[in-house]
Amino acid sequence: MSGGRLSPIAGLVTLAGVLFLWLPLLVVVLFSLHETASLSFPFEGLSLRWYERVYESPEVRAAVQNSLIVATTTALVTLVLATLAAYGMSRARSRWRAPLSLLFFLPITLPGLFIGVALVIAFTRTETSLSLVTVTIAHLVYVFPFFFVLARAALERLDPALEEAAADLGANGATVFRRVTLPQVWPVLVGAACLAFALSFDEFVITFFVVGPDPTLPLFIWSSLRKTIDPSINAISTLLLAFTVLLFVVTFGLASWSERRRRGAVDPLALAGAEAPR
Amino acid sequence: MSATAEPPTTATVVAGARRERGLRAGPLLLTAPAALALLLFLIAPLATFAVYSFLTGSLYEVSGPLTLENYREIAESDLNRTLARNSVVVGVLAAVTSVLFALPIAYWLRYTASRWKTLVLFLMVASFLASYLVRIYAWRTILGTEGVINSGLGALGVIDEPLTFLVFNRFAVTIALVHIYLPYVVLVLYAGLAPLKPTYLEAAQDLGAGRVQRWRRVVLPLVAAPAASALLFVFVLSAADYVTPQFLGGRTGVLLGVQVQVAFSTGDYAAGAAISFALLAGFLLCYGLVALALRVARVDRLRFVS
Repeated sequence: MSGGRLSPIAGLVTLAGVLFLWLPLLVVVLFSLHETASLSFPFEGLSLRWYERVYESPEVRAAVQNSLIVATTTALVTLVLATLAAYGMSRARSRWRAPLSLLFFLPITLPGLFIGVALVIAFTRTETSLSLVTVTIAHLVYVFPFFFVLARAALERLDPALEEAAADLGANGATVFRRVTLPQVWPVLVGAACLAFALSFDEFVITFFVVGPDPTLPLFIWSSLRKTIDPSINAISTLLLAFTVLLFVVTFGLASWSERRRRGAVDPLALAGAEAPR
Repeated sequence: MSATAEPPTTATVVAGARRERGLRAGPLLLTAPAALALLLFLIAPLATFAVYSFLTGSLYEVSGPLTLENYREIAESDLNRTLARNSVVVGVLAAVTSVLFALPIAYWLRYTASRWKTLVLFLMVASFLASYLVRIYAWRTILGTEGVINSGLGALGVIDEPLTFLVFNRFAVTIALVHIYLPYVVLVLYAGLAPLKPTYLEAAQDLGAGRVQRWRRVVLPLVAAPAASALLFVFVLSAADYVTPQFLGGRTGVLLGVQVQVAFSTGDYAAGAAISFALLAGFLLCYGLVALALRVARVDRLRFVS
């Protein structure tokens, strides 16, 4: 559509939307650099002292470490489980597809409150003591659909002729997956694993119910928010924001690179190259 | 499936696939580990949770027989009724505001030729991933009595006394919830507009449709289903939110979810389960009604994931 036809109102609302979303976050970043402990105007000078305080805090370190453990485990287990599930769903023709789809999407449609409450009841019932293990289990449930959606979409976009050709040439199922499917989709899978990591690292609503004696970073932020508020919370928040955005850049970059590469692969010459003997 | 229907753990399925059997036994077998994990860690807990809501609770314990007592108490409690009303009001406000705000943004993203498009799209998704707690904290520092708005206006000499209507009420909770869910709604509507090629709008115009008619007959029927699913999504997540009201809600902005959290932290599992299950039943009812309305209006079926 020619640019002139688009109403300027849509452009203005878009600008307002971007400002509405980002200005509050920028305010948090701004006050993380405040020299005094105040979180209000007038702004009295820049300093990195709150970052130093966060860096030196043993509680923050312990919380970051716990979050890293949980997020890494969640991302790796999800990578395996959800990739298998997405591959199975994208290649299967069965009446079980619809109920399985529903099961795999369910966690995205349920508010975290219900997942947290249901899990804490189940853990109490089975006398499972709350720990980072229960947190990881909760995160696996929460993160699964996000990974699954991305992986399944990527797998369904593939040209089935490539896999059929490999199978006709005598490759078994696992070889087809490893030598034909995986080389085409791995950037999306790695990107989705980064997303899973970010989602887990930042999860609070469910974690609150299933956390044991070791707090994750969001739990630490929550308990600090209930005590005195000072710019060290802004410093932690800023670091958390930067980290999540960075992970997203990786996800976004890998996905778009993969898409460009895949489009290139439709070229018959590239196809011939892909099938060259190793 | 074949004789390999032993309990398939991740290891056996992977090994099975390696033994070139997995795929021939049916690719669906590969979904088994994930399906088992979700049955064990989601469906079974949800079922237990439903049963708990019909039991009699004491501290961290529940006992039979099955009873409707918890639900009767919820229905008769004035506090719960007020909180349920707050939840509906805040949920509806947040959902409607998000969708109305997101519609022009999604439209712009879909049809603009601007070079800023990728950046805007990136900023939308990146802000969706920005921490939930950090956003709540941001609004607390902005709207607070000694917050950015009050101290800023005070420093400029516009106001002498801090504006107290900014925080600790439904307005503050709603604005934070819109901030949290707006990017999601934009992306859902943007995806909903994907099939609507610019040429269709041009065709409609060439056939004599004005701006209003193009929206009513071409754009709206296409975005109705995604908009309805986004409305539901934001409504459900907002009404069930228990963190935002704690920090921004004050006395008038407390929602039903907070009661669930209180019940669970004080060990009254049966009451907490009953409140949350009532909430869930309410959501399922909303979902059914919206799906029915869409079917009557003959638009595309409801989808949560586009």
